[in-house]
Amino acid sequence: MRKTNRAGSRLLIGLVFLFLYAPIILLIIFSFNAGDSSAVWKGFSLDWYGRLFRNRLIMESVYTTLLVSLLATVIATAAGTFAAIGLYSLGRKRREALLTVNNIPMINADIVTGVSLCLFFVAFFQGWGSFARWFNSVQSAVELPERLVLGFTTLLLAHVAFNIPYVILNVAPKLRQMDRNPMDAAQDLGCTWMGAFWKVMLPEIKPGIVSGALIAFTMSIDDFIISYFTAGSSSSTLAMAIYGMTKKRVTPEINAISTLLFLSVLVLLVLSNLKEVRQEARERLGAARKPSGLERARQRFSEPRYLWVRRGLAAALACGFIGVVGFLSYVTGSRPVVNVCSWGEYIDPALIDQFEEETGIRVNYQTAESNETLYSLLKSGGADYDVIVPSDYMIGRLIAEDMLEPLDYSQIPNYGLIEDRFKNLPFDPDNQYTVPYTWGTLGIIYNANAVEEEITSWGALYDDRHAGEVLLINNSRDAIGEALFYLGYSVNTTDPAEIRQAYELVAGANRRGVFQGRVMDEIFQKMEGGNAAIATYYAGDYLSMVDNQAEGVDLAFVVPEEGSNWFVDAMCMLKDAPHQREAHMWMNFIASTEANLANMDYIWYASPNGKALELYPEWYEEEYGEPLDMELYQIMAAPAEVLERCTMYQNLDAGTLALYNDLWTELGI
Amino acid sequence: MRNKLSWFAVPYVAWMALMVVIPILIMVVYAFTTAQFQGTLENFSEMGAYTSVFLRSFRLALVATLICLLIGYPVSYWMAREGAGFQRVAMALIMLPMWMNFLLRTYSWMSILENNGLLNQFFRAIGLLELLGVDYLPMIGTPGAVVLGMVYNYLPFMILPVYSVIVKLDHSLLEAARDLGADSALVFRKVILPLSLPGVLSGVTMVFVPSVSTFAISRLLGGGTQMMLGDLIELQFLGGSYDPHLGAAISMVMMAIVVACMVVMNRFGEGEGEAALL
Repeated sequence: MRKTNRAGSRLLIGLVFLFLYAPIILLIIFSFNAGDSSAVWKGFSLDWYGRLFRNRLIMESVYTTLLVSLLATVIATAAGTFAAIGLYSLGRKRREALLTVNNIPMINADIVTGVSLCLFFVAFFQGWGSFARWFNSVQSAVELPERLVLGFTTLLLAHVAFNIPYVILNVAPKLRQMDRNPMDAAQDLGCTWMGAFWKVMLPEIKPGIVSGALIAFTMSIDDFIISYFTAGSSSSTLAMAIYGMTKKRVTPEINAISTLLFLSVLVLLVLSNLKEVRQEARERLGAARKPSGLERARQRFSEPRYLWVRRGLAAALACGFIGVVGFLSYVTGSRPVVNVCSWGEYIDPALIDQFEEETGIRVNYQTAESNETLYSLLKSGGADYDVIVPSDYMIGRLIAEDMLEPLDYSQIPNYGLIEDRFKNLPFDPDNQYTVPYTWGTLGIIYNANAVEEEITSWGALYDDRHAGEVLLINNSRDAIGEALFYLGYSVNTTDPAEIRQAYELVAGANRRGVFQGRVMDEIFQKMEGGNAAIATYYAGDYLSMVDNQAEGVDLAFVVPEEGSNWFVDAMCMLKDAPHQREAHMWMNFIASTEANLANMDYIWYASPNGKALELYPEWYEEEYGEPLDMELYQIMAAPAEVLERCTMYQNLDAGTLALYNDLWTELGI
Repeated sequence: MRNKLSWFAVPYVAWMALMVVIPILIMVVYAFTTAQFQGTLENFSEMGAYTSVFLRSFRLALVATLICLLIGYPVSYWMAREGAGFQRVAMALIMLPMWMNFLLRTYSWMSILENNGLLNQFFRAIGLLELLGVDYLPMIGTPGAVVLGMVYNYLPFMILPVYSVIVKLDHSLLEAARDLGADSALVFRKVILPLSLPGVLSGVTMVFVPSVSTFAISRLLGGGTQMMLGDLIELQFLGGSYDPHLGAAISMVMMAIVVACMVVMNRFGEGEGEAALL
């Protein structure tokens, strides 16, 4: 009876593990995919592993992630354990009040924690700046740094801050469960408190500490949004790199690095367990065998008289570690740098290496998820980027709010290579602030095998015949803009009645169940796998989807007859950027024809460099030994007759933006 | 000794004042001001419009917490009865999936649950879909998928604290109960359950609280047409109109409700001595 019971419980534990590991196995399988997709299988390949090791951005972010997670876990576990002991020696009233405050970082939405920490750090740095200036002016013996910026330290502090509550929450029940008498007894028998803590209390509360540390590490390694707001412009964690990719596509490189991390932890786990099992077996065999030399040495070393030697060694190790980290940051700090922020997968990584080699300038390349995420970070004062690459309407907003620095075009001779039609656009009418980076169109992507007729109108998005098969873009400007195009209104209208009418069109379709969901990055795997029939996205991304579509899926792209949006993403420099000379060099380098060719080939977004546009078909044939499919080329770089019916988004006034936001929220309620 | 120990809390209280209380105060200021930083209560008076989002979030989080408890408690209990080696490995294996990025794991769930996904393909292959006369079973985009996402993400946070309490239960108490004639069910109900309550409370807090404020799960697995609190707050900070003042206000209200829930729960927890006597 008891035996079957056991088998049953093991079966259930097994099922839970299956539940936990099914997605992981899938994720590992797709790290070997020959295609770019993490949902459609295109054959076996080790390509992503090779690319991974050549991708400096990912490798550096892995290093930062491990360092910050491990340090934060160690600090938070030690601090949290002692804090929990302290809390438990307080009276119940005070303890409960403190525990409630303790839980705040857990209760709070991550984004609120992230933004508030960012505001706090920035305010502190400003206060410090005035203090340092005053201090440096009254004496000259010690020079304090006047300008502090967000970086690894603030990232670490933020991680410790959100980790501690989890440790306390895990240690607290163990303390509550613990019998306090043995602690008192040990001390009565002459043990110091520390001694009693190590020998009596620690073994008792260890499971709580271990699970607290595990959870803290997990929270740290997976955190994106708090890191994003506290990491500054020079360090980037893996999670930040991954979310940065979501504007385009999260590549299987990420699956590959996750697989490697997963396997190394698994191997460590097996090894440590084998060792323990062997040790247990040895103990069972009895003490007949003499301890080896190493074991004897270890035994002697753990004697009390070597206590200070042990402590000294630990201190030396800690100092050495801090020294190495400090030295590394000094070495990287002494080189000229430029801090760039762009979208993920939006540059050929070889260009970064090439620029660094040619100029000796180090590029700190960070990625953001969307124009709005970037804006939010800039508004909180949390980034000191030199170069950013926002889209047209956001550039208009940044200029209107005086957040950009005018460029010195004499330092950017390659600006002359940019075609005139991409200059003096409404967002920067006098061309003082921008160097165009890419351009493209928004259109409908549909699975020709899943719809009956050829789609030419935005009306298809609201058509009941496609119920449950349409993906609405999760961005108020685009979603309502498409309806405005369909209704024949200007996409830049500020007339609330027109906007509301457009919203009603979308909301009506939503109520009737036409939309399967509101999507951004998921669009890739949904369209490629044939899980939805109609979606809207950007031309360059359509090209990547076509390459990865599953069998039986036939994706097509159309810029609807009612007109659509065309966009320009452009490089600009933030107000008071600290590395302006380097920023100009970077922009000049990226504007060159060679860089534009490489970028166009890598990201499939059209270049504003006239020569690169013209040369690309030839360049492609030389590079790949086959002619470029001109039909696809025309989708990437839309011809004049298509661009004629397209309009660019302009920055809207605050009232209209608020209306967009209210309506968009209403749609989700 | 007790008084001396309370000094341990001092650095922590100082740390909290700096890193938790001050940032929260900044957000309180935001919640009660307009974009021009003039005092206002408007952010709160608008809150009524979001009642359905609040209800939906709390309801789904509650369901997810209950499911986590129903799965997590027996698993922790059984795990604690296995050998030490098994326990060590199992505990690490339970956390390990969470070390893979959240977004990747959720993408994986999407490809499993899609209309044309692995599960539906499996159902098609075994003839289940034909039997039911449908093209596919709709799974993605349903509230069920959102709950699944929450359970998947937070189940370990239930198992670990419950397990760490059960594994250290005093076995002599169980033996005493048995000697006094209690059968297994009674021992569980009268001894094990009350004694493991602190762990359950920790677990419930650690699952419920992040479930309420989670974002992205409802977008990726729930289709995004039904917003949750986390998404609503995120939209104010990272949406087109950038209204951190409203976002802060919503977050304050959410925190107030969660704190109220936890105070009630802690009352219940501190009374565990009486619960054992029932």
